[in-house]
Amino acid sequence: MRHWLALAAGIIGGAAIVLFATRRVLDVVEVQGGSMAPSLLPGDRLLVEALTYRWRAPRAGEVVLAIDPRAPGRELIKRVRASGPEVDLRGDAPAASTDSRAFGTIAVTEVRWRAMLRYWPLSRFGLLPAGPYRAG
Amino acid sequence: MITLRSLLRPTRRVHAHCDIPCGIYDPEQARIEAESCLRIIEKHDASDDKLFRARCVHVKEERAELVKHHLDVLWHDYFKPEHLEKHPGIHETFWKAAKQASKVKQTMDVAAAKELLLMIDSVDEMWKTTGGPEKTRVNGRPS
Repeated sequence: MRHWLALAAGIIGGAAIVLFATRRVLDVVEVQGGSMAPSLLPGDRLLVEALTYRWRAPRAGEVVLAIDPRAPGRELIKRVRASGPEVDLRGDAPAASTDSRAFGTIAVTEVRWRAMLRYWPLSRFGLLPAGPYRAG
Repeated sequence: MITLRSLLRPTRRVHAHCDIPCGIYDPEQARIEAESCLRIIEKHDASDDKLFRARCVHVKEERAELVKHHLDVLWHDYFKPEHLEKHPGIHETFWKAAKQASKVKQTMDVAAAKELLLMIDSVDEMWKTTGGPEKTRVNGRPS
């Protein structure tokens, strides 16, 4: 039994490192700006993945990355308020967020990365807190 | 050699972005510039002074450009998708008003300048019915 667990852990761990090293489907990012407060704060480091949205569409409540339609060099992190062919993105701090209210919705095909967990600071390690817009 | 440290070093910065919009909007700003255009055209027509008339043309073009700018700011920044439900004509209204401001910029037509004022008034009406005076002025619009 132990062997199997160790083997499984080894395979999963090894696969994670390979996926990670290529940064195609797993990556780590640092948050800048305060529009996702209090869920995410500037300087938070997150693990993000680009697998889920190959299989299904983003869901309301999920935290995603998307290119800023007004500044293609900038990658945004926002929460999905509503999803369909177009995704409505909002900051958790609506009074201090530039989001779909300003730049409109984003094509669902443009949303590839999902934020999974925060690994830094360690004091707030864990899965991302649920914010507003959680689907029933 | 891949180390844990190198794996966990962020490769990208993602922006929880805010433009820090000041949130102050009022169509009055556009109206004042449009009133300037109207009055300048009238003064131009009443004068024989060549130099003065030339200055009128120049200044009126500047003011008309400001009208367009203030209308654009209202259109792009103040009005939100949810306002469209209440006022489906928002885009049409702004499009026509911006074109009218161009016309005022290009001509010395008093009627065109008056028409522009009416168009700004309809923007003002939409601003009022969407809660603009309470939401986008510090203490409402001074009476």
